[in-house]
Amino acid sequence: MVRPMTGFWSSKKQKKSAPPSDKGAARPVKPVEPDREPAPAADEGEDVAKEPAHLKAEAAAPAAEDAPQRVEEPAAPAPTPVQNASQKETKEEFGMLYQTTEAHEKLRAEVRAFAESEIAPIAFQLDQQNEFPTEAVKGYGTHGWMGIPYPKEYSGAGLDVLSYAIAVEELSRVDGGAGVILSAHTSLGTFPIAEFGNEEQKRKYLVPLCTGEHIGAFGLTEENAGSDASGTQTTAVDKGDHWLLNGSKIFITNAPKADTYVVFASTAPELGNHGISAFIVEKGWDGFTFGEHYDKMGIRSSSTAELIFNNVKVPKENLLGEEGKGFKIAMATLDGGRIGIAAQALGIAQGAYEKALAYARERIQFNSPIGTNQGISFKLADMATKIRAARFLVYSAAECKQNHVPRYGREAAMAKLYASDIALEVVNDALQIHGGSGFIKGMEVERAYRDAKITTIYEGTNEVQRIVIASYELGRLGKKKETGKKAAKALFGPVMPATGPRKLKIFNDADQQANVDAVVAALKADGYDFSVGIPADTPIVDAERVVSAGKGIGDKENMKLIEDLAQAAGAAIGSSRPVAETLKYVPLNRYVGMSGQKFKGNLYVACGISGAKQHLKGIKDASTIVAINTNAGAPIFKNCDYGIVGDVNEVLPLLTKAFGTEEKQPAGEMVKIKRPHMPKPDPIGPTMVCSGCGYEYVPELGDAEAEIVPGTLFSELPSDWVCPECAEPKDNFVDRTHLGL
Amino acid sequence: MYCVRNVTDDIYWIGANDHRTHLFENIHPIPQGVSYNCYVLLDEKTAMFDTIEWGQGRQMMSNLEHVLDGRDLDYLVVNHLEPDHAASTGLILSRYPNVKVISSEKCFMLMHQFGFDVDAHEQIQVKEGDTFSFGKHTVTFVEAPMVHWPEVMVTFDLTEGVLFSADAFGGFIANDGKLWSTDVDWKANNLDEIRRYHCNIVGKYGPHVQLLLGKAATILDKIKIVCPLHGLIYHADDDLMTYIDKLNHWSSYTPEEKGVLIAYASMYGNTESAAQALASAICEKGFTNVKVCDISETHVSYLIADVFKYSHLVLASPTYNLNIYPVMENFLNEMRMLNMQNRHVAIIENGSWAITSGDLMQEFLEDEMKDMTVMNERISIASSLSGDKKRDVDDMAQAIIDSMEEVTCDPAKRFEKKQH
Repeated sequence: MVRPMTGFWSSKKQKKSAPPSDKGAARPVKPVEPDREPAPAADEGEDVAKEPAHLKAEAAAPAAEDAPQRVEEPAAPAPTPVQNASQKETKEEFGMLYQTTEAHEKLRAEVRAFAESEIAPIAFQLDQQNEFPTEAVKGYGTHGWMGIPYPKEYSGAGLDVLSYAIAVEELSRVDGGAGVILSAHTSLGTFPIAEFGNEEQKRKYLVPLCTGEHIGAFGLTEENAGSDASGTQTTAVDKGDHWLLNGSKIFITNAPKADTYVVFASTAPELGNHGISAFIVEKGWDGFTFGEHYDKMGIRSSSTAELIFNNVKVPKENLLGEEGKGFKIAMATLDGGRIGIAAQALGIAQGAYEKALAYARERIQFNSPIGTNQGISFKLADMATKIRAARFLVYSAAECKQNHVPRYGREAAMAKLYASDIALEVVNDALQIHGGSGFIKGMEVERAYRDAKITTIYEGTNEVQRIVIASYELGRLGKKKETGKKAAKALFGPVMPATGPRKLKIFNDADQQANVDAVVAALKADGYDFSVGIPADTPIVDAERVVSAGKGIGDKENMKLIEDLAQAAGAAIGSSRPVAETLKYVPLNRYVGMSGQKFKGNLYVACGISGAKQHLKGIKDASTIVAINTNAGAPIFKNCDYGIVGDVNEVLPLLTKAFGTEEKQPAGEMVKIKRPHMPKPDPIGPTMVCSGCGYEYVPELGDAEAEIVPGTLFSELPSDWVCPECAEPKDNFVDRTHLGL
Repeated sequence: MYCVRNVTDDIYWIGANDHRTHLFENIHPIPQGVSYNCYVLLDEKTAMFDTIEWGQGRQMMSNLEHVLDGRDLDYLVVNHLEPDHAASTGLILSRYPNVKVISSEKCFMLMHQFGFDVDAHEQIQVKEGDTFSFGKHTVTFVEAPMVHWPEVMVTFDLTEGVLFSADAFGGFIANDGKLWSTDVDWKANNLDEIRRYHCNIVGKYGPHVQLLLGKAATILDKIKIVCPLHGLIYHADDDLMTYIDKLNHWSSYTPEEKGVLIAYASMYGNTESAAQALASAICEKGFTNVKVCDISETHVSYLIADVFKYSHLVLASPTYNLNIYPVMENFLNEMRMLNMQNRHVAIIENGSWAITSGDLMQEFLEDEMKDMTVMNERISIASSLSGDKKRDVDDMAQAIIDSMEEVTCDPAKRFEKKQH
């Protein structure tokens, strides 16, 4: 695996002496790639011998410590650009300087100046008020920083990934939120379109993203899908001329400010990761709304919200990449996105370090600056060392991505992991150096302390980064191979609703009367008799029917709607947990849920209940669940037999009327009403039977001994695959559903 | 004494009837015996089609010698090498040193494995579509893999339209002189044993039987007579389509009829009582195609045959050492091994302190078998069915009757997507 290492990471000496590889690429520099491409022993010796000289050369940079901008090595004097170094054919010792170019440093200086003049003065206000720096972000665009690593033909800056990382770093140095706005926009919102979009999509979406006219965002995370994307529950159904998108996304950076969203939805839920597709979704489309802006601990100037899709019509041409390839797109995007987060962590650490350094010089105790105290100075030494190490990792990862180094995801994960881990250490020490002053709002280190925390969490927690790195290091040892029918069931089985098998019939007609009539007719067909009823205060566990109110019921006077409906349905009254516990509309013993009362009767009518897990588990035994909610993406609709998408104020009176408001006869002894069958998942492909022995190839199971992973279709088996039992060739198999007559 | 019958002017049945073997394949009881069929063609050359089980070899030899009447045997065609047909191959090879052997590649391989001295003879290896002439009669060979062994082929006499079909179209019950299906009322008297033979021997290989039926369909108008290796032979214009229809059902795992097999295991009669109560409840509601079997008393090959026949199955089992009652577990396992699929199953479970058999049976049906619909209604018995469970029994009976609507007995609709 020869990795082409062009540019300034390559040693000229090595370029010349390296044996030609089959691809003619230069051999990688030993210190960067110790494990993948061991250099010849002689080279290694030379590398080691040259190290001190190189370090000396580097050490010269911080010597200018008293220069006005006292920063670490990116500080003036400007490092020797690599182009110059490479021209000095005779001075081989300069060939290994790990340095940025003049152009990089020029960009750094521009971004830094902008950040310090436009963002630093308002950073505290943004943080305090949870406010998005709209004007500043416009400034990113006018400076040409919204499309740094993208081609000029799409209005990008045509610069490299490292330039982008430097921009994020410099913004984050002043404000972590300001940095992540650019990072999420560039590597999450824009990258998938630049990399996987077709020409038309690039013209339409990439250009305004690169100019900064639009802001981009990326929607992958859901309630049940984060690091494990296979839990994606947002669906996109092919409706011929458009896709119908339903579901919701959480923790989406840049929402609702962003204009363009790359959203991942399941187009074939039974296929897990292989059934996920990517879509470009525009703000403002019918049915696409946002949840509340989260009240975050840090990076409060960046906007973060929930995306809600309720029957959003996505035009056919907005499918990004191929159908079913969304998981690959998401993973490729995150690989690169991690470099942005790493740069953000680096910038936050750098900013906090500089503040601590200044404070250590200024703060006088016992008649001298506290920096003279070894307890403080050693801290600063450690902080500087960590930052320098992190910077090398981040810039190296950016270079790898820029040069399309295969599997650069390892370097990106290492950079993100290390930079964010040390960012937490650095901000902690920086705050400690500030003593009590650092604990007060308004101090930059206090904000940096909170801002840093997210960097070990988002775009893959650092635990996940370690999984990624380990998988590169160990190869596909992975987990013990799960085979057999149980594993296949787990992989390909249907996603069982938390409430067990349900009919999942959702009525979403514009005419609510039609929806209500359909539901009441279905209930009567199921055997419900609405001429009888039970008292409204029947204990939940004993009740045959319950009408329950959730937060969606709104004001307390709306409980009248619930009381009327309960009377008409012949039901007792229940509620979700918040309605009893927080709103106190009903006594605590009326709330239904795993932690509250369990409902074991027949009919459960959930009004304005979104369907928290613990609530759903408490109604598992219900024979029939009816849901009324305004949000079509609410979990309750994936757990009910009949659902009406609509406002309780409109739907409940109609339902009440349809059930009938006459006095109810006392109900007799409860008779449990039957539950529906759980439909079995459709096979992912044909099961093929060997004509040499009768062995069955089941695609859900694969063939572990031949290293055929579960989920491999028979048609995808290699042509030299043979029957594991009798070695019959692949063409001598017959479909198990073959009918001869 | 020889014992032969003419099939056509040139073709003779020279097989044997076996009543001394009690267990076919040493597993399946055959109270009415079984016949081993083999055939000889007298043409410019003489040719024998398969041989028979070793124990009846003497009868076959005396039949063969009688028919050959002094002529040498020129060819032996081996369609299937299972020893109930091929065990006497060695006898033929040694008795007729000039005989040339015609068979498939895999068949020759198996001949070596079984130890027949075939290398001393000329071997003519044939494959799908090859033809061979014995003079007036020309035959063609059709591969029939996994019906029910991999080497199997069937031989079709193009001249007289005679299909030597190997184990396809076979059945239990010794012929005892009656050779043609028209010699008996086979649908009334032989069908159950034909089903039991086919489902237990070939049942697992439905797709391959379908493959063969597909091939047969292309020459159906040319087939005049079907000569299997067991049981009766069939005229094409007589009962053949009835048999093909049965084969089509069995090999597509489509029930022959809407009906219920209640298979119960009972240690002390309590589970039996529930099974009987259910049978009565179903019949009481007017649906009477119900069969009740005590599986401890019924050989599993009979149960398998009935499962292939009926659309519904009720499994009633006690919990035994926290497991499924062993006889029931064996029945489930036999069904799995024979690829039984596409049935509605209702479960009755019994237990006195920890009832586990129902969940375990359901898990087996859902995870180990294909296309089985386990009904939601389950009767759970704590030791004995008390009167207050009558409602459960009635509910299950009604659910079984109601679900008859979901069942198709048309093999063509077998793999249509079901609406839930």
